[in-house]
Amino acid sequence: MSAPVQEAITTMVDAATVQSIADDVWTSLVGDGEVLVPLPVPATEVTVSAWVQITGPWCGAVVVTCEEATAVALTECLLRARPPAVIEPEDVDDALGELANVLGGNVKSLLREPSSLGLPQTGPIPPAFRPDDLCRVDAQWRGQSLTIIVQGAIGTPHTERNEVPQ
Amino acid sequence: MKILVTDDSRVMRQIVIRTLRQAGYDDHEIIQAEDGWEALQMVGAEKPDLVLSDWNMPEMTGIECLEALRAAGSQVPFGFVTSEGSPEMREKAANAGALFLIAKPFTEENFRDALDGVLS
Repeated sequence: MSAPVQEAITTMVDAATVQSIADDVWTSLVGDGEVLVPLPVPATEVTVSAWVQITGPWCGAVVVTCEEATAVALTECLLRARPPAVIEPEDVDDALGELANVLGGNVKSLLREPSSLGLPQTGPIPPAFRPDDLCRVDAQWRGQSLTIIVQGAIGTPHTERNEVPQ
Repeated sequence: MKILVTDDSRVMRQIVIRTLRQAGYDDHEIIQAEDGWEALQMVGAEKPDLVLSDWNMPEMTGIECLEALRAAGSQVPFGFVTSEGSPEMREKAANAGALFLIAKPFTEENFRDALDGVLS
């Protein structure tokens, strides 16, 4: 007997909603006048990703991916850093992780069933499960590629210690 | 007055502190903790007038910190600044003794609405 297939994220969240959440995040955290434009541009350099996992009846992750230079620029904005301030690599991981965390927390609130949110992680993107269990916003910030993906996960739902019970 | 800002993200602590300043709370002393356990220790040692805490943190979560404080008899004013603001989260926070929950992303107005009654 095969394992039950989870409900696709697209039945609960669409790209316009994710874009709307991102608009609020950009205004609040990145800065006044900073806009995430929903027009895709290709990434030309090495990209970095940060994500938070959601665990519940729907399991998956909210992933933010951009080029390294874009991640550094985002970090400078979040910290309101001005030259000669030095942005450390751990600050870049931290900042991109917080963007994923805030986006993920807001996406989680749209799910129909109680779920848990994991701590931010950075690294290789977790593999997507089904092509239809995925909601994607391909956008640009300051002309550079930035992608937000809400994607279903492989694996059995489980609860980890630091997740937030709803 | 003294405000303890607790978040495992240094970047988010800086954003919270900046928003406090922008909201007009620029004459208060700000101290910081990296997780709930450190916040628990600092409440005892530093006697803050208000704790602003993230919810989801390693070592000890914000709600575990609040519950530990109340279990130990501390009535320090406590509010959450967290990425989730569902009604269920707000109810859980209130039941544990939190005065408010500010959801991220937030504005200066959100901070003023929540803190004016506490810090006035």
